[in-house]
Amino acid sequence: MNDETPTRILLVDDEPTLREPLAAYLARQGFAVTEAESAAAARSILIEQAPDLVLLDIMMPGEDGLSLCRHLTETRGLPVILLTAKSEPTDRIIGLEIGADDYVVKPFEPRELVARIRSVLRRSQRAATPIEETAFYSFEGWQLDPLKRKLTDPDGVVIPISTAEFRLLRALLDHPRQVLDRDRLLDMVQGREAHMFDRAVDNQVSRLRRKIEADSRSPEIIQTVRGGGYCLAADVRRIASGQS
Amino acid sequence: MARLKLRLWPGSLLGQTLLALAAALLVAQSVSAMLLWRAAQGRMEQTMLNTAAFRLIGAPRFAHERSDWPRPGMDQRIEGQRRGGFERGSGAREFPMSLRVEHTMQQPIRPSETRMPDREQALRQILAAEGLNPVTVLVTARPLASDPLVRSRPRLLGRATRAYGPRANILVAAIQVRPGGEWSVARVALLPRRTGTLRPIILQTALIFVFLLTMQYLVLRRITRPLKLLTTRTEHFARTQEPSEPLGPRGPVDIRQLILAHNAMETRIAGLLDEKDVMLGAIGHDLKTPLAALRVRIESVEDDAERSKMAASIEDITRSLDDILSLARVGRASDPPERTELSALAASVVEEFEDMGEPVSLGESSRIVLPVHVTWMRRALRNLISNAVRYGKSAKVNLLRDGPEIVLRVEDTGPGIADDRIGAMLEPFTRGETSRNRDTGGAGLGLTLARAIAEQHGGRLVLINRKDAAGKIAGLGAELRLPAG
Repeated sequence: MNDETPTRILLVDDEPTLREPLAAYLARQGFAVTEAESAAAARSILIEQAPDLVLLDIMMPGEDGLSLCRHLTETRGLPVILLTAKSEPTDRIIGLEIGADDYVVKPFEPRELVARIRSVLRRSQRAATPIEETAFYSFEGWQLDPLKRKLTDPDGVVIPISTAEFRLLRALLDHPRQVLDRDRLLDMVQGREAHMFDRAVDNQVSRLRRKIEADSRSPEIIQTVRGGGYCLAADVRRIASGQS
Repeated sequence: MARLKLRLWPGSLLGQTLLALAAALLVAQSVSAMLLWRAAQGRMEQTMLNTAAFRLIGAPRFAHERSDWPRPGMDQRIEGQRRGGFERGSGAREFPMSLRVEHTMQQPIRPSETRMPDREQALRQILAAEGLNPVTVLVTARPLASDPLVRSRPRLLGRATRAYGPRANILVAAIQVRPGGEWSVARVALLPRRTGTLRPIILQTALIFVFLLTMQYLVLRRITRPLKLLTTRTEHFARTQEPSEPLGPRGPVDIRQLILAHNAMETRIAGLLDEKDVMLGAIGHDLKTPLAALRVRIESVEDDAERSKMAASIEDITRSLDDILSLARVGRASDPPERTELSALAASVVEEFEDMGEPVSLGESSRIVLPVHVTWMRRALRNLISNAVRYGKSAKVNLLRDGPEIVLRVEDTGPGIADDRIGAMLEPFTRGETSRNRDTGGAGLGLTLARAIAEQHGGRLVLINRKDAAGKIAGLGAELRLPAG
């Protein structure tokens, strides 16, 4: 997909022991990588050139990654993937809330990082009008918080769902009352961690139905369409986060 | 019996102090009342005997027996008292003077009556002090109505009965100056032992009770109220590990110092905990960055088998590191627990394992909503399932209600754990097999972390060997037991 002009990546990390081998690895994967050892260095590089994507370490001396991330997404509209040592969900949420497109926890599998870079680039090229990533989905009294990946039922009870179920549900919620065939669903849901979703779509749908349908054998929200596909039979509203 | 004792003996400082004080007061006042009462009785006795002696001595017949006789005016005084009838004195009451002294040759005591040696001795001493030493002294008591002299005077009997009541007794004191001679008999009203002296002391005791106990209650409340506040606060701190608004010093100096010391300690503990979090964050960062570098570098290893082994080792280290960091952080959850549907939680964790092709299944499960920290709960369940898969070949997850507890049970079909090792399994860095074999992975923190998470939710982690019908171990059951209410 990057045959002619290589994708330009700005890698910002204060640790040369990680930055150098990672830059070399990404170069081998066909990316044009520029390195910066601090937020200040990154800012001066950004004046001269515009990368396609920024890989940004959160914990850095001086200006930290979150601050630079906010600047990049607000003023430049650049896609950002955060690199961090912390694996707490709250850290992930903060990162995504200030506009990062994705989040990778150290130590990461380099192949997975590449997959995510490609996925983020695909999304940023496709979505010219950025949907507000943080807005809640609301349907039939249910709510889905896309940042916390939290599904709550009409009584406000949290219904834990797996990552795969979250992606499937989100895909359905993004296209309410539209028939989505299995290939389309798989395409929308896959992407980041392919191995998480090599089970059939049907299997995920039936799991999701067990959690949100009153009677999973005669589903009303996620309906099966004859001829191979699924349809979310509900109206979906987006609610700005914070007023849940 | 023990329960009764418990109920009677209050547990609180206030109750115990007040009860002890009340008991001590009661004992002290009782002793004091008894002493007073005995003194009053002694005085009455003395007055009674004095009166009898006075009458006997005053009788003109003994004038020649006494060395200091005659004493002018003595007789007139007795005569003057005679008209007074029943006079109410302070101690023993005067008997009608008309019954002053009887002189008779007859034995004054009937055989059925008992003599009173103590009083005879006392009377003899009084008489001796006045110079009269009779051969015989007899003292007895008899009912007023059975005294022959009194009975012979109906009007006197009537008046005496009205004054002292129908069951009054008299003290009869008789002396015989010469052997075989004439008896002189004096009669004195024998007053019943009186309880009147107890009334003021009871009143006094009641007053002391009210005042002292009220004061004590007020003082103690100044101690117990800040203590109670301190207890509530300490419990809150122990539960959340978050310092709340500092408690203002109040109450007596000792309590103020305790509160100040507690505040200082709480601040210090909170500081240490914050420091620990910062330190753990730093450790995590400092170890994970080189691990990430290593993980990137091994991509250049040509040998695929070698590379995947390296990757697995790095994954192991990362998992252990995450367990250690989590264990240090559990209990300091930043978000409040959320009402969560546990069967969906169990299903979502089981599905993760299913998707990775692990032999994990969901057994019995029903809709149960409980406030939990979802991320932590998933973690605990994931650890139990990993253990079951690793040591027990397969895992089956059940969600059920057991009395006051909600049970998330993970059953495997492995060899179980020797009964004497079950306790040790919950300790950090313990693993099922004795060799610290890296192949089986993990730092041995999985169960410790699961237990810490269960305790964070007010519950517990229980490990039991499942027995089949023949009594043989059929596998291990690991249960997260959470309070239902």
